Amino acid sequence: MKLILKFEETTLKEIGLGERPVSIGRGPDNDIHIDNLAVSTHHAKIYKDAGRVIIEDLNSLNGTFMNNQRITKSFLKMGDKILIGKHHIMLDDTISGDAPVAAPKVSAPKIQETVMLDAKARKALLDQALAAQAAGGGTAAPAAGAPRAGGTAVQPPVPPRVKVPTLAVIAGKTDQPEYQLTGKLIVIGKSDMATIKLRGWFKPKVAAQITKRDDGFYIGKGDKVPSVNGIPITGPTRLNEGDIIEIAGVKMNFNFRE
Amino acid sequence: MDIAGRSDVGRVRGNNEDSFKLLPELNLFVLSDGMGGEAHGEVASALAVETITQHCLEASKNPGLPMEGEPRLDLSEKSNRLLSAVRIANRKIYDQAQADASKKGMGATVVAVWVDGERMCVAHVGDSRAYLLRAGDLQQLTEDHSLVAEQVRRGILTRQQADQSKNQSVLLRALGIDETVDADGAEHVLIDGDVVVLCSDGLDRMVTDPEIASAILTSGGSESTVERLIELALENGGEDNVTVVVLRVQKVHDGFLLRLWRWLNGPLDEDS
Repeated sequence: MKLILKFEETTLKEIGLGERPVSIGRGPDNDIHIDNLAVSTHHAKIYKDAGRVIIEDLNSLNGTFMNNQRITKSFLKMGDKILIGKHHIMLDDTISGDAPVAAPKVSAPKIQETVMLDAKARKALLDQALAAQAAGGGTAAPAAGAPRAGGTAVQPPVPPRVKVPTLAVIAGKTDQPEYQLTGKLIVIGKSDMATIKLRGWFKPKVAAQITKRDDGFYIGKGDKVPSVNGIPITGPTRLNEGDIIEIAGVKMNFNFRE
Repeated sequence: MDIAGRSDVGRVRGNNEDSFKLLPELNLFVLSDGMGGEAHGEVASALAVETITQHCLEASKNPGLPMEGEPRLDLSEKSNRLLSAVRIANRKIYDQAQADASKKGMGATVVAVWVDGERMCVAHVGDSRAYLLRAGDLQQLTEDHSLVAEQVRRGILTRQQADQSKNQSVLLRALGIDETVDADGAEHVLIDGDVVVLCSDGLDRMVTDPEIASAILTSGGSESTVERLIELALENGGEDNVTVVVLRVQKVHDGFLLRLWRWLNGPLDEDS
């Protein structure tokens, strides 16, 4: 939650509204300092009380206006326009507005200040996120890396089908006939740390690699240039179901297994 | 390896809550972003990097040093040592925060890499990141333990919505919050020409991935890459402390003939 100070259309300042009141005035000791003679030294203050935001005029000479009405004390909501002298102040309460998740009441964070959630708050928040997802009919399958936090995180609702990306070896020497792709970076090569281990002399340590991104799995070159469906790739290439990958004498089929 | 690191307070904050430490003698590199009122973020991040580097240093002299937490059998000893160090750091920060009421809520993120030959162990908690640039392609190796990243993984938000979200600062995991921490660990193989970047969120919130990639590709060495990345973060607003560590993996000659030569000369090497 923050306050935005504007002069005409220009944003001059943004200030977080936490538990401490925010003071507004011409005096330099104010949190929002407005250098204009129409503004009293200590003109007004904005503070939180029982979860609501209140604006209070401090007997200023020229007054505090909310939505074109002079006020002495009032609740302040999103969208309300406060006028002090020639400056506007608005409340930005979008902490939860962009996501279908209510902000955690336990620790309403100030903008830009990192907050951490303890186990209880984390569970509450994830519960809300999941409820929102269920209500909104979220489509994506839960990520393989769903929270494992100390046994406190909630489990995703049982998905109808979990699709696991898989590479099945069609031809060539590898250490397994089939590989499930987990992790952010999957290496195909001779290295001990390669997920897909190539066998044989003169095979490269890292022949190619598959990376997991938001929108799917991409194959990229390493020491060799892999082909997808017979065409050598020119850059990281997104894999589609059924694609045939060829690299260093090994041929594999990319698929999602249930 | 060509290694460099630097931290900058940024253009908005009054203090720097990030810490990092480079131990080239161990090939261990640790970066932490602290949080908490007063100067407690600094305390937490400094405690994280000190505890982790100290534990790994001790372990390199005394391999029998007890480990903290359940070992992960799918990872090497070095990775387990690094995860153990992260868990100990969690406990130290937690204990300090509990002992002193004014430090309540103090915490830190961490990303640490330990390079062992061609193997790179990565441990992390929170939203500090490790990136790998290979063959011109930048890949984030770590998954942020943040609310928005979790929402993206669950398909609730798109990446774009996440980047504009006001909830970006909400972390789901951090050091010092609970008695124990679930630290992520992974291992990757490094090859010639790889560039690894560790950063606090002051970089990746200000600078896009393509900008990071092009800065790496157009800078010569690690030192100039670090400078360029910090410069970009500041140019784009510098809203938070920004810390960057860059490792460039230089040509390791381990062709067949060289290995044969090393093998033939192996006993001599040990004598000298």
